[in-house]
Amino acid sequence: MTPTIELDGLEVKLGGRTILHGLTGVLKSRAIGLLGPNGAGKSTLINTLLGFHVPSKGSVHVLGLDSHTSGKALRSLVGYMPENDAFIAKMSGVRFVRYMAEISGLPSEQAMERAHEAFVYVGLGEARYRPVGTYSLGMKQLAKLAQAIAHGPKVLVLDEPTNGMDPPARKRLIELIREIREASDICLLLSSHLLRDVEETCDEVLILRNGQIASICNLVEERRANRKFLELETIGAETTFTAALEDIGCECAVFSSGRIKVVMPDSVEIREVFKVAADRGVQIRRMNHRRDSLEDIFLNAMEQSGVADGRL
Amino acid sequence: MAVYKRRYNSYTGSLTPAWSRFFVLTRFAFIDLFKSRFFVLLLILCIVPCLFSAGYIFVANNKTLQLMMQLRPDMDFFKVESQYFIFIMIGQAWAAFLLNCWVGPVLISGDLTNGALPLFLSRPFSRADYVLGKLAVLGLLLSAVTWVPCLLLFSLQSGLARNGWMWSHLWMVVPIVLCSAIWILTLSLLSLAVSAWVKLRIVATGVIFIAFFVPTGLGEMFNAIMGTRWGVLLDFSFLFRLIVERGFHERTGFLGRAFDEIPISAAWASLISVCFLSLVILNARLRARETVRG
Repeated sequence: MTPTIELDGLEVKLGGRTILHGLTGVLKSRAIGLLGPNGAGKSTLINTLLGFHVPSKGSVHVLGLDSHTSGKALRSLVGYMPENDAFIAKMSGVRFVRYMAEISGLPSEQAMERAHEAFVYVGLGEARYRPVGTYSLGMKQLAKLAQAIAHGPKVLVLDEPTNGMDPPARKRLIELIREIREASDICLLLSSHLLRDVEETCDEVLILRNGQIASICNLVEERRANRKFLELETIGAETTFTAALEDIGCECAVFSSGRIKVVMPDSVEIREVFKVAADRGVQIRRMNHRRDSLEDIFLNAMEQSGVADGRL
Repeated sequence: MAVYKRRYNSYTGSLTPAWSRFFVLTRFAFIDLFKSRFFVLLLILCIVPCLFSAGYIFVANNKTLQLMMQLRPDMDFFKVESQYFIFIMIGQAWAAFLLNCWVGPVLISGDLTNGALPLFLSRPFSRADYVLGKLAVLGLLLSAVTWVPCLLLFSLQSGLARNGWMWSHLWMVVPIVLCSAIWILTLSLLSLAVSAWVKLRIVATGVIFIAFFVPTGLGEMFNAIMGTRWGVLLDFSFLFRLIVERGFHERTGFLGRAFDEIPISAAWASLISVCFLSLVILNARLRARETVRG
């Protein structure tokens, strides 16, 4: 299977400064999040894979296409929602999206049809005949998303899509992105400062720091691993309870005040833990799946890359 | 992504040929332009002189009408030869300049003002396609007031004069097309470069005027100080007249001594340099992302 993004010693220099330092890695998931503090090189990486910047060394491949040598072919697969304002103020929303779809190669009639559909889909149906310049910030974000999806791309690149959106609008946009991901075979690359945005939409995360890869993490596998890690608060015979759990294959660590951490093997289900507790007369007062949140992963990556202040 | 289903679907239909997509820009620009009444009025005003010129040709070839106007046929008052086309071309060149000053400044600035350029360039669409699309707007528009009406007048005269007039004057087609082409290219690229640099229409229009007339003044100063005529190489309208007059092998007397002193190659080189400089500016300004040095 062709990797979604393949980085091979990618180095990018801008204005005499090296921004990306020999990035190497393979990202195979369909939904990839791009995380990192300000100035980490997220936007530079996006701009490079769109062909806006030329690598000084190495290469980046998206769906097997080199961003530099096959730039046009690659861009024909991409829908791009930039971070900053990007619109033509005097055009009506639907005409703006149609214009962009036609430039992507859609015939005029299909472009018009898809522009209307995209506008309705992102929830701007009522505002589609208004000039884009009169839209609120949240509406402009949605209009940018509409132009990015109208031509039916295979790769959707979203650079800080929830910038400047209020919580309900942000929630709606995240839902849309998830819907788009689930309704088609589209690949998603989402760059964001907001860990939650990435966590809710992506399967794999590339964390950048100072132009270097701090971590590549597969969130699906992390989530699967987390499902087997329990934190319990119990009242009763802890020792016999933990011994019984170990008998069925669990690993246990006992802490003060009846707190127990349990790692379950794949063969053991949670109801067996309850059964063991009932048999031993132990009350389980609290049970948590320990979740290694993306924040933990991110901070861990920052620390591992030798950074004390892993601030966003 | 059908509206009634409200779900995302990718596009699986046919695509337009890649080479033709630059024309989308041209088409959309024309639709916007023709929404402006002022533009339509300006365009009509630019074409009106050609209608009078057509009337002139009609009278020139109609002896009965000349007699009715009490003009003696032997006066040869109405004469459609090289000088006639030179005057028309110079007049229409100024009309093209005015039209260009109105249309040119908004073509690129509208896209740059709110950062729309990355949206164009993130598609299978190059910077060359973008410039070509915008250039085609001015190219078609300025053609409609320069060489196209001139050729129509030429055809009208050919049709009315008969007696082999067309064959004996067919060489005129070359200077009509070539001189108009360099003028259109110079004006278009210059105004696109200004449009890529200056975002406000009024300021951009002012800059085009400055770019046109300030070098003329500087050239005159250079001539006065150095006692030469080479300063006229900065006077674009002079250069155009020189190219037209030399192209038609005719001397109208407007150009004075410089007509003989300035070689035609220098005039062409000067106008081509302006085009090249404009392309350099466009190349520097039309970037999806700006790189800050340091």
